[in-house]
Amino acid sequence: MVPLKLIWRNLLRHKLRVLLTAGSLTVAFFLLCVLQALVVSLDQGVKNASKKRLVVQSAVSLFVNLPISYQGKIETVEGVDETMKMTWFGGYYREPANMFAQFAIDADRMETIYSNVELIEGSWDEFKNTRMSCLVGKETANKYGWSVGDRVPIVGMIYPRLDGSEWQFDIAGIYDAGAEASIDDLTMYFHWDYLEEAMEAGATTGADGIGVYSVLLSDGYSQAGVGAEIDSLFENGPQRVQSTPEGEFNAQFVSMVGNVPFFVGTIGMGVLIAILLATLNTMLMSGREQTRDVGVLKALGFDGSAAFWLLLSQSLILCGFGAGTGIFLALGIEGPLQAVLGSNFPGLQINREVLTPAIILAICVALFAGLAPALRARRLTVIEALREEV
Amino acid sequence: MQESQHGVELIRVSREYTRGGEGVKVFDDVDLSVKPGAFCAMMGPSGSGKSTLLNLVGGLDRPDSGDVIVGDTLLSELGESDLAEWRSENVGFVFQGFNLVPVLTAYENVELPLLLTGLSKAERKEHALHALELVGMGDRAKHRPGQLSGGQEQRVAIARAIASDPGVILADEPTGDLDFESACQVLDLLGRLHTELGKTILMVTHDPRAAERAERVIHLDKGRINESPAAPDDGFREVKPKEGEGA
Repeated sequence: MVPLKLIWRNLLRHKLRVLLTAGSLTVAFFLLCVLQALVVSLDQGVKNASKKRLVVQSAVSLFVNLPISYQGKIETVEGVDETMKMTWFGGYYREPANMFAQFAIDADRMETIYSNVELIEGSWDEFKNTRMSCLVGKETANKYGWSVGDRVPIVGMIYPRLDGSEWQFDIAGIYDAGAEASIDDLTMYFHWDYLEEAMEAGATTGADGIGVYSVLLSDGYSQAGVGAEIDSLFENGPQRVQSTPEGEFNAQFVSMVGNVPFFVGTIGMGVLIAILLATLNTMLMSGREQTRDVGVLKALGFDGSAAFWLLLSQSLILCGFGAGTGIFLALGIEGPLQAVLGSNFPGLQINREVLTPAIILAICVALFAGLAPALRARRLTVIEALREEV
Repeated sequence: MQESQHGVELIRVSREYTRGGEGVKVFDDVDLSVKPGAFCAMMGPSGSGKSTLLNLVGGLDRPDSGDVIVGDTLLSELGESDLAEWRSENVGFVFQGFNLVPVLTAYENVELPLLLTGLSKAERKEHALHALELVGMGDRAKHRPGQLSGGQEQRVAIARAIASDPGVILADEPTGDLDFESACQVLDLLGRLHTELGKTILMVTHDPRAAERAERVIHLDKGRINESPAAPDDGFREVKPKEGEGA
């Protein structure tokens, strides 16, 4: 049994040193949490992707459109329950700086394909039945102050209107992607028919065809099996396709942002090693200073484990306080962080995937820094401890 | 006065240290017997083994061979944790450098050994304050060691040594770092522990005046133990000299 006040007072023996170390831990764990949140955000679209959906794209490139006729053929493959066109529109709201994602889709099929998407305002029927209507993610709606019924002007870059005017969309619903990992809350979805009509009428230019087809599988069919069937269907052209499980498709976008996870991970590792050494240094100094106390305790009849816990407890408290403060700060800044980085890192949050490794790392740092002096304290004999010059 | 039940007996004890790669024999087959309730001073030049002897009796060190018996406990039979427990119940230490824990108050320092007993918080407080009163430091209970003079620190250390009412007090040069007046106060205190509380006291000292306070003076030199010629006949058993050395 170690007196708690002895642990506490020894910890505060050098207040400035402890404060600086705790401060370093706070900054380090705050950074680690934020960096980890960025990585998790990039990764969640891959990990949480549906196992029941495929994305069919051109085998040549994602930037090469597929023929419209492919949709009907894909639907003949056994195991395909539903398909939906998805074409990247590439527009902005009023200013080029207000760029966000827009997709032309089969409006009547989205509810089936993305069944987890929830409309928090408006209705699916209104969206399906009105040609100029669109669905907007809640974050984009919040950002621009849009609500259901608003008419939104969008300037098309891939599909510019030839008269120089803007595209007009009526907001029929505002959605919350919820558990739907492949969708963020930033995107606009509108009728592919609306785009097609404009193209047929010569009101706009742009690539013919469909960017990708999203394919929903029937129960009991595997992504690999159905995907292979679809690919073989178009093996002899006119254009070969590549069917990819949705998770893999999403992973392409993560890899497109280059080595961000590696870069972020490397920074995090550097921060961790630096704080590990700083904490170890503090604990080794504390251990050295308390050598005589350890000798006294042992002479009085306290055993080696008391000496061990005297030192290790200080490390645990120090790391618990420093890292805990950093983690709480990260939790506190979650909202502002989402506001600033949410468009680039959709779903950014300080959740369990961020907190669990942070807490485990904090315990590891505490153990790593505290074990060396604690083991030394346990091993020292009374005579060695009392003779040691501090 | 209730006399301590803790006599001390060293039987054919040998102890050797390794220094600079060479073995240094501190004791070689030494015998010593101290009766319960005795006040015994140990003198000798540096390196003569005075502190080693205290460490052996206090269970802080173990002999290479031979037996150390304190009271009715053969220390070599105890494992490390049993030895620690035995120390907490039977031995109080007073060090030359006081060795108070600097972050604790005088009261908390005295309370430390009591934490190993089954006493309640209120009982611990009573015992610790009583010990502080006994050494005249009751009014300094809330002071930290850094706020006390050397003599006061040593008196607190003595209070800590007697707080759990051990049978044996081992004092390693308790007046070594003190001025004359403080040294006298500390020696008076140790004398009272002996006469009023009947503690068995083994005190290492370089100071002949301090040694005069003891009933018996043992001289250590080169691993041998010699009785002081001036030591009064206090009823201690004779020290058994090493064979062939005629201690």
